[in-house]
Amino acid sequence: MKTLAVVVTTPPYSHLTITALNYVEAALQAEVEVIGVFFYQDGVMHANQNISIASDEYQAIQHWQRLHQNYQLPLHICITAAEKRGIVCDALDNEKVNQAFTVSGLGELVELTTKASRLVQF
Amino acid sequence: MTMIDTQVCSNVEDGNGLAIINSKAPFSSAYGKDALDIALIFGSFEQKVSLFFQGDGVYQLIDNQDGSLLSIKDYLKTFAAFEFYDIEDIYVCHQSLANRELDESFHIEGVNVLQSIEFSEALNQHAHILRF
Repeated sequence: MKTLAVVVTTPPYSHLTITALNYVEAALQAEVEVIGVFFYQDGVMHANQNISIASDEYQAIQHWQRLHQNYQLPLHICITAAEKRGIVCDALDNEKVNQAFTVSGLGELVELTTKASRLVQF
Repeated sequence: MTMIDTQVCSNVEDGNGLAIINSKAPFSSAYGKDALDIALIFGSFEQKVSLFFQGDGVYQLIDNQDGSLLSIKDYLKTFAAFEFYDIEDIYVCHQSLANRELDESFHIEGVNVLQSIEFSEALNQHAHILRF
């Protein structure tokens, strides 16, 4: 079975995250096993609960949430990158982290990379 | 499938770990540091990782630089630890050096200077590629 892992390094207001979303959704619809999406660098901002994008613009965060809910797609954020950007990843007080996202470390990226037959970065 | 396609696929199949392409200058952004963090984690997990330097990324290898003059933590010093992480495959694009009139005085040992075609062939040996 071919497996796919995706790395997103661009913020939720970037056009590249839309490309990533379309790519991942097409893969899921084609029944490719997408083992996870890893958000690194500005990509972690997808998990920031305080981000609000004008309602007439593309709601990337909502679409990632939808893929997570409909396909149980694992969404990981890098904790170091997240904390650097003000996303508090404290287990007791993680109201700043969108619950669709799992707080992970770069070790998760190692695991995804070793398991995936293909790794694609956006 | 053409012969080249077949060749690419076979390389991907017996893929040789992760390649990280460094394409940005060291001190104008955090890209170099972010790439370094990934390289060191792969090294810690004993996963094979190779580093490629291309475009402005070649500046990350040039010696006698001091990030502290810009109040930046000089992550380039950590390159000296690659040996401890078993990161041995380090490649730099000759054309990128030539375009910037840089000579091959690097601040770490064991850097392989490759012509563009060899650079792409070395890259093609890897199962996965990340670019920073």
